[in-house]
Amino acid sequence: MKGPAETLCAISAGIRNALRERSNQWILKRQGIDDVSVTLHRRRTYILPTRAGAFFAVVVLMLLIGSLNYANNMGFALTFLLTGVGLVAMHHCHRNLAGLCISFKQAKPVFAGDKAQFEFIIDNTDALSRSQIGAGLKEATAVCGDIRAKNRAIFALPLVTSKRGWITCPRIELSTTYPLGLFRAWAPVHMDLQALVYPRPTNRLQTILSASSAQSLSGLSLIGEDEFSGLREYRSGDSLRNIAWKSAASLGILLVKEYKEGGQTPLWIDWSQLPYPETETRLCAMCRLVIDADAEQQVYGLRLPGVTVSPEKGHSHLHHCLRELAMFAPAKPSRS
Amino acid sequence: MDKLLPLHEPSAQDRRIRLLWLLIAVLFVSLPHLLQVNIWITLMLLGVSAWRYALEYRNWSVPSVWIKVPLVFAALAAVGFTYRSITGVEAGTGLLLVMLALKILETKTGRDLIVVSAICWFLMFAAFLREQQLWAIPYILFGISLSVAALIQIHRVSAVLPARQVITKTAGIIIQALPIMLVLFFLFPRIPAPFWAMSTVGSSAQTGLSDQLNPGDISSLSRSDSVAFRVRFNGAIPPASERYWRGPVMTYFNGREWSWADRGEPILSVEELLVGGTYYEYELMLEPHGREWLLALESPVQWSQNKAYLSANLQLISQIPVRQRIAYTARSYQFVQKQLPDVERHIQAMRHLPSGSNPETLAFALKLRNESSSDSDYLNRILDMFRQQNFYYTLRPPRLGNNPVDQFLFASRRGFCEHYASAFATLARAANIPARVVTGYLGGELNPMNNDLIVRQSDAHAWTEVWIDGNWLRVDPTAAVAPQRIELGLDEALSASDFDFRRNMRNTQLFRQAILSLDAVNAAWNRWVLAFGPEMQQDLLRNAGFDKPDMRDLILLMAISISLLLAALAYYLRFGIRSKKDPLLQTYETFCKKLADSGVIRHRSEGPASFAARASRLRQTDRSHIESITQLYIRLRYESIGSIVPAAELRQLTKLVKAFKPTSD
Repeated sequence: MKGPAETLCAISAGIRNALRERSNQWILKRQGIDDVSVTLHRRRTYILPTRAGAFFAVVVLMLLIGSLNYANNMGFALTFLLTGVGLVAMHHCHRNLAGLCISFKQAKPVFAGDKAQFEFIIDNTDALSRSQIGAGLKEATAVCGDIRAKNRAIFALPLVTSKRGWITCPRIELSTTYPLGLFRAWAPVHMDLQALVYPRPTNRLQTILSASSAQSLSGLSLIGEDEFSGLREYRSGDSLRNIAWKSAASLGILLVKEYKEGGQTPLWIDWSQLPYPETETRLCAMCRLVIDADAEQQVYGLRLPGVTVSPEKGHSHLHHCLRELAMFAPAKPSRS
Repeated sequence: MDKLLPLHEPSAQDRRIRLLWLLIAVLFVSLPHLLQVNIWITLMLLGVSAWRYALEYRNWSVPSVWIKVPLVFAALAAVGFTYRSITGVEAGTGLLLVMLALKILETKTGRDLIVVSAICWFLMFAAFLREQQLWAIPYILFGISLSVAALIQIHRVSAVLPARQVITKTAGIIIQALPIMLVLFFLFPRIPAPFWAMSTVGSSAQTGLSDQLNPGDISSLSRSDSVAFRVRFNGAIPPASERYWRGPVMTYFNGREWSWADRGEPILSVEELLVGGTYYEYELMLEPHGREWLLALESPVQWSQNKAYLSANLQLISQIPVRQRIAYTARSYQFVQKQLPDVERHIQAMRHLPSGSNPETLAFALKLRNESSSDSDYLNRILDMFRQQNFYYTLRPPRLGNNPVDQFLFASRRGFCEHYASAFATLARAANIPARVVTGYLGGELNPMNNDLIVRQSDAHAWTEVWIDGNWLRVDPTAAVAPQRIELGLDEALSASDFDFRRNMRNTQLFRQAILSLDAVNAAWNRWVLAFGPEMQQDLLRNAGFDKPDMRDLILLMAISISLLLAALAYYLRFGIRSKKDPLLQTYETFCKKLADSGVIRHRSEGPASFAARASRLRQTDRSHIESITQLYIRLRYESIGSIVPAAELRQLTKLVKAFKPTSD
């Protein structure tokens, strides 16, 4: 049962949303898809009075009528100073946002269910400090802060993920109601941004282990570390555990201990060896195995229908594997 | 690198600071009302402010609905009970203050601060309905500034700004808004007549003139120093004895009371007047008195007030009551003769005396008239009587009974202008000479600061006019008994028994000087700011070169001016803001410039150290200076923590650079 007030609210909210959708469509058509770095020129910074602004206008109008009625000159002075303040506030509000440059920095891959963080940089190249710049996805402002003159600011917009694969960042909106909250200036930015979402690793490692055939997991029975074979320079992707800290400290460069891998049998994480009927569950389990293998410094490889990642170890290998899992599209028919 | 942070609840300290800004704004704006309104409203506002602050300080929640709703109703009822209404300026002000107090109590988020601000602005407006003196300007500027500052603080999602930054930002906004205010003030089309008038001048507050004259009922004339009007003469200023300012003319007499009946009088057209003698031109700024009469020097022939006419009694009358301060120019001639089409009927009314009243006076008049050779001789004999017999001028006359003129003439013989005018007119009418009593003002104080003539309520006067030889002749019988009253004004004419402390104060030189200076400022304020209205606006446009300015011109001019101002503002905001130069870099650049002037020019790619080395080689004599300056500079530039340069060392560097004088080639 809905009261008339609620119905009215629902109707007005509906109208507002419809209007907003229409204007957003118009803006998108007008501006097109943006580059990963975009300057918010004046012509793409929009401004409208807020609810408080509309109220302010009504108050000023009432004061004006009062002043006219009483021919009260100080009343006029008051009314017109307020008018001036309103107009000046409008310009300050627009100027507070216009001219900023927003650039996409990065969006690190996340596991499904975590929040993808789209990171951005705002550059304020002007001698004007910017106050209370808000940013968010669609209308909702998520972050807010000041940016000093000739400075830059970073911010991250979180986006909830639910399934693996690419997630697309919706319209970004920068906005400000500075200085008086009478106006809201906003600038929608449509960058074509995506973040990679890995499958959510399953927690039930034990189950996987017990259910898996001994053959495919033979590589798990590894003991300790391999024979030390020498030092080489650090490459990105090397495990921190292998850094020779003492030598690094004395020589001033990062060195990594190298081990002979001769004795190590690579671990294969194989799609066909896992006992789950569902594709997604299977991928989640494989994700868990990949992460665990990496945590244990294993050399491991990945086998998916149609995709094989040859055995290796290290950071970049881990992400290579996870990426394949995230992107995996089973061929039709899905099961062999 | 700055960071935009996720939205969060404001800290307790932030909330407190915001509330403090809000309360400062509210209390400042209510200041002019706090002493005017009923005491319980003042106490309520102050109490609620303190209560609300205590709640925030202790971090307690604001009162629940069960306390607030009864409070609202109780407060509304109390306002209604106090003022017996909730409309009208006084009750409205009280209501606004109560609403403000309740809103402060309720404000939780600060988002509805705009409502609090709006109430504040209405309160400021209400203050101007009562009074618009010079203090209005700082009141507007500070009042709006404080609410702007509070709005800035409350709309910050991040931590509040330090006071200095808020003040700077607020000052910026206000300064940029001022030109817009000025343009709108002068160019916004003003309309002459109010839509609906609510009297802001209390009818009981009047002193000075009235539409009745009843000398017998007054036992003590209270004198007010408040200004009745100010006059600025265009050219010659009449001597003190000629400064008769005509107000209501009393023609109807019922034996006790003279009354003003000019509203029904025929309107006189100026073309029928024959004028002569010297004339005076002046601008008169009349304080509101709530009635229809206008004041003018004897006798007005031309006037600038549109909605005014001249009655058959030569009185200038406004069609609408004077509820605001008005200014008009007028020209008055010393001699005015009029040719009324119906003279006989007109003067016949001025001969009327009620039968049966003041019998002694009537008998005395008939006897005296028989002894006199002519009407003039008769009137002169009356004046001689006032002059030679023991008549006294006093502001504290005895009360008079049913036949006041009889009692005054033959018993008390004490009175002020009204007694003498009334008695003289009665005596004239008793001898069948048409006579009337004119009330108005006599004299005025000339302010040497601006040459304004200030006429006060205490200058109120009454005199008579009699019809002699086909013309009205002014006779001031008070002059016969107290001639200095005419020459000097009321203050000086008073006898020692009317000693008055205030009068003594007013007569000290310094005090008088200060009062006159203040009045000059006030007069200028009234003349140039408060009197600005449709007429002055028209003059302004005509002076600006518009032949026949109309509404369309005004709107066009206003729109263009505002657009230009806003364009200038946009330009300033876009290009005008320059970052402050780093003082450290600036000092170093001065040093480089000094060296460059001496012939050692720093290359663009040259760092400070290598430049110093080269300069030292080229200027061996200045070596130590160059090295110490450069070393200090490098240390301050590259080893300072963050970007903050220690002030003491920066001063030292500035001193070194200032003292540095390189030898030139």
